[in-house]
Amino acid sequence: MNSTDSTLSSENLQPSIHEMAREHEHDAEGNSMFGFIVFLLSESVIFLSFFAGYIVYKTTTVDWLPPGVEGLEIKEPAINTVILVSSSFVIYLAERFLKSENIWGFRFFWLLTMAMGSYFLYGQAVEWGSLEFGFTSGVFGGMFYLLTGFHGLHVFSGVLLQLVMLIRSFIPGNYDNGHYGVDATSLFWHFVDVIWIILFGLIYLWQ
Amino acid sequence: MTSTQTETTKIPEKHHHHPPTTWKTFFSFSTDHKVIGIQYTVTAFIFFLIGGIFAMIIRGELITPEADLVDRTVYNAMFTMHGTVMLFMWTFPVLAGLANYLVPLMIGARDMAFPRLNAVAFWMVPIFGIILMASFFVPGGPAQAGWWSYPPVSTQNPTGILFNGQFLWLLAVALSGISSILGAVNIVTTIIRMRAPGMGFFRMPAYVWTVLSAQIIQLFGLPALTAGAVMLLFDLTVGTSFFDPAKGGDPVLYQHFFWFYSHPAVYVIILPVFGIFSEIFPVYARKPLFGYKVVAVSSLIITGLSGIVWVHHMFASGTPGWMRMLFMFSTMLISVPTGIKVFAWVATIWGGKLRLDTPMLFALGGLIMFVFAGITGIMLASVPVDIHVNNTYFVVGHFHYVIYGATVMGIYAAIYHWFPKMTGRMYYEGLGKLHFWLTFIGANLNFFPMHPLGLQGMPRRVASYDPEFAFWNVIASIGGFILGMSTLPFLLNMVSSWADGKKAPDNPWRAIGLEWLVPSPPPVENFEKQLPIVMAEPYGYGKSEDLVANASDLN
Amino acid sequence: MNNRNIILLIISFIILAIISVWIGQQSYSWLPPEAAAESILIDHLFSFLVTIGAFIFLGVTGAILYSIIFHRAGKYDMSDGPPIEGNVTLEVVWTAIPFVLVIWIATYSYQIYDQMSLRGPMEHFHMSMGMPSANAASVPEESTPPPKIEVHSQQWAWIFRYPEQNITSTELHLPVNQRAYLQLTSADVIHGFYIPAFRVKQDVIPGETINFEFTPIREGKYRLRDSQYSGTYFATMQANVVVESAEKYQEWLKIASSQPPSLAFNQAASEYTKKTENPIHSDWPTVIPAQPPMVNYH
Ligand code: HEA
Ligand code: HEA
Ligand code: CUA
Ligand SMILES: [Cu+2]
Repeated sequence: MNSTDSTLSSENLQPSIHEMAREHEHDAEGNSMFGFIVFLLSESVIFLSFFAGYIVYKTTTVDWLPPGVEGLEIKEPAINTVILVSSSFVIYLAERFLKSENIWGFRFFWLLTMAMGSYFLYGQAVEWGSLEFGFTSGVFGGMFYLLTGFHGLHVFSGVLLQLVMLIRSFIPGNYDNGHYGVDATSLFWHFVDVIWIILFGLIYLWQ
Repeated sequence: MTSTQTETTKIPEKHHHHPPTTWKTFFSFSTDHKVIGIQYTVTAFIFFLIGGIFAMIIRGELITPEADLVDRTVYNAMFTMHGTVMLFMWTFPVLAGLANYLVPLMIGARDMAFPRLNAVAFWMVPIFGIILMASFFVPGGPAQAGWWSYPPVSTQNPTGILFNGQFLWLLAVALSGISSILGAVNIVTTIIRMRAPGMGFFRMPAYVWTVLSAQIIQLFGLPALTAGAVMLLFDLTVGTSFFDPAKGGDPVLYQHFFWFYSHPAVYVIILPVFGIFSEIFPVYARKPLFGYKVVAVSSLIITGLSGIVWVHHMFASGTPGWMRMLFMFSTMLISVPTGIKVFAWVATIWGGKLRLDTPMLFALGGLIMFVFAGITGIMLASVPVDIHVNNTYFVVGHFHYVIYGATVMGIYAAIYHWFPKMTGRMYYEGLGKLHFWLTFIGANLNFFPMHPLGLQGMPRRVASYDPEFAFWNVIASIGGFILGMSTLPFLLNMVSSWADGKKAPDNPWRAIGLEWLVPSPPPVENFEKQLPIVMAEPYGYGKSEDLVANASDLN
Repeated sequence: MNNRNIILLIISFIILAIISVWIGQQSYSWLPPEAAAESILIDHLFSFLVTIGAFIFLGVTGAILYSIIFHRAGKYDMSDGPPIEGNVTLEVVWTAIPFVLVIWIATYSYQIYDQMSLRGPMEHFHMSMGMPSANAASVPEESTPPPKIEVHSQQWAWIFRYPEQNITSTELHLPVNQRAYLQLTSADVIHGFYIPAFRVKQDVIPGETINFEFTPIREGKYRLRDSQYSGTYFATMQANVVVESAEKYQEWLKIASSQPPSLAFNQAASEYTKKTENPIHSDWPTVIPAQPPMVNYH
């Protein structure tokens, strides 16, 4: 048993569980991605709670809309929605380019995503500015600003993350250890997108 | 074959050099899970003493029927801060600390998955602790709306200023939530992805199972509390009307948000304690954990059920009948997976070779008090009975039996059991036993009288009460003071043993588990040379099998 | 398992059962007098739960104590116990038994609840969500609903109003053996309507009018306590409930309606105004108690 030559390291002979062990330990990227997904799942419960609250209020509140408010204008938000949702495809393209090591292609589509995200924020700001009710206008006003604001904050964080990833793409050797940052940012972006689709349905379509 | 490989496997090189652990390490931004674990535990214990002093003031006030020791506002601040500190600053952090210390060792990992995130999560604890304590110094004093902070009481804000106690309370609780979520992400990732080779799920110690189950609860529950807290914060500060009935809001909705988390939170607290029981009984009874697999899986079942019972805190809140009945049933169902555990522990002890060292005493005492509390819990779950005793001392009695009787006693058991591992020193058995008896007697004297009080109709959260309730309150207060005293031998024991105790061997209890295969205290990287290769289920007492293939090569 | 063990097991089972039933009987004396029809139902249920609970608690602790006494390792005995890892039959049994018990307890609780036909607010507001009207027998269907006594709660006082007689009172008077119909409202925060001797309790949610009913069956004076924490003077928010014979009740109505409204004593308001004289007062501002109510009877 003990006579095996120590130079004949088992590692060279067969992929042993030891290597699995080492991979385990050094797969920091995989851990990070796993952790990030867990975090997003948890984060989604905040939104779910807000949605649940919204549904309860909407179905039980007697004077739902604040006095003088007819309902929400849907056209501009719909355009905004189309842009945000398409940006999910654009960011996917960017990722594809990165995987095929076309760094400029990546940067182009990545920047395009950022532009679309920023446009969404701009559109949201314009909408907020034009509304005749505020955060304290009853439960409806509160819920509207809470939901769109909390989501907007996520879009804003997403754009910031994208900016960081864009800058990092200029660091030589940035991708030597994989693309965890880009993958995570992109996942986050899809998440923000899906949340918006539900939100849009709840607030704008279900009036 | 395996041992051949073991002999020759190349050792993954150490990541970096570590300075030796000294007392200064514990005040630094260390990323070693063991240092963080102890940091958490000690910080939490300081808050336990603070919360305990609040409790002493409560018991002092209640020793007479009149409100004569402190002002009513102070009394209200006392129970609010007592509940908040005990839950958010003592139980959660201390359990996070134990999990931090033990989980990587038990699953054969060198550290947590995200060491720096770990340190960040820990350092938030003193920060929000200080924020909460600072609320004693703002005009109006600390929050006085109970640990539930139900609106509209919590949003009344008689001070009229923004930085009031309730505001700081919400801030502290929100930070505590963030810290717990970061911790949960870390622990879940560690358990799922960092297990040593051969450590399949059904080879994990039951404690690891319970920690995993508990942390999953944090992940799905805390965000709901956060959502409610954010809405409450806006109501309090900028004047939204989410929960303000005067402006069309719905105060009962807050209760749903609150209990959707705060009920499962009690299982975040008790599950790791179940894990501690499952670790300790086999060691001191010298028998394998009875029905290990079922015990392990029942933790996840509790996690699942814990998410669908919250309305049992709101039976008297104006809940429709169908909801009352549904949640009554789901609540009672929890006794099934819990019963599986209780019976398994009894079967583990049964016919064993019992050794009543301090950890075992605390675990046994905790188990007995838990069963009592579980039974009063089932009574509370029964809607008609709850309608009578809801918001009376019966509830206070129920939960102190679980939370002090089972949880704090379980945590003491864990601290004594792993103390030699953590510090490399033995504690003094005599002081430990004294601590146990003072605790056990004090806790029962303190919390048993609360049941007759509640049945007689004494409401909770009152600074004064009708003289008919005086008898049991005097006994409870005396028990409370004994409990207060019981912490003294413990503190003395811990401080003197750590400084000057007998050197502990690697495995003083002849326990089976990865953590007992490394030196006491373990080196920085836990398994300096090789990761353990696990070959067997845990708890192989009475069987002659090896837990790992490479026991002699770990360090 | 040999015969001797089985017999021992059966004997301990019987002893346990006897003790548990005895404890269950005792449990009636732990509760306040049964002053309402509801309390009788609840006390039965409670006694039943105490019996089962005592059985489980004594059974489990008995087994633990037995092990502690008889299964101790000798001082120098370093051997291990038998390596028993589990027993499928046993595990199935102790999963099934609690499950059956739970169904039993839940069903019995449901029946009691049904007989109490406690009215929560939702059943009146959102009929579709409520349970089918609980029990027709104990709630006689009346063509003209009886006048409801209005219960107003505020920080920190209970005020009872008898609309027909135009009486306001700080004491709740009820005729014995008649179903009482109340209408609960709150002016500010959530309060809790709780009469321990009746075993009834209901949160009073501001902004809602909550119908509540029960049947007092025993004459006497009882305590109504606020059960939902409502701020600084919460503990003082109590009132007397007087259950009296129909004649006495009518008499009381007459006396009360003939009295002109006057200022009632209010513990919270009085403590607040005397606050600064009190040596133990704090400087923390508090919600100011409402003015003591003007009532006909106090
Ligand atoms: C660690 C903490 C902890 C734990 C584990 C529990 C466990 C349980 N709790 Fe408790 N509870 C609290 C902490 C805890 N609780 C707190 C803090 C509050 C009050 C909060 C506040 O208001 O401030 C509270 C309040 C509370 C209420 C609300 C009362 C009210 O406000 O009116 C209810 C009602 O259903 C309840 C029920 C239960 C039940 C059914 C269990 C079950 O999990 C118990 C299950 C265990 C057993 C049943 C024993 C073992 C089982 C067997 C031996 C098998 C056979 C048994 C049977 C078939 C019955 N609890
Ligand atoms: C982990 C949770 C936990 C723990 C450990 C405790 C521990 C204790 N609790 Fe409680 N408690 C709660 C959680 C907890 N509690 C919660 C959530 C509430 C509800 C709050 C609300 O309604 O909002 C509550 C409420 C509560 C009440 C009801 C108040 C009311 O409704 O008006 C009471 C009353 O007796 C009480 C007492 C005690 C006592 C005597 C202890 C003792 O066990 C404490 C013993 C520890 C010490 C005393 C340590 C300090 C010792 C020293 C510094 C040295 C010695 C000092 C002296 C001898 C004076 N607690
Ligand atoms: Cu008054 Cu609650
Ligand atoms: Cu609960």
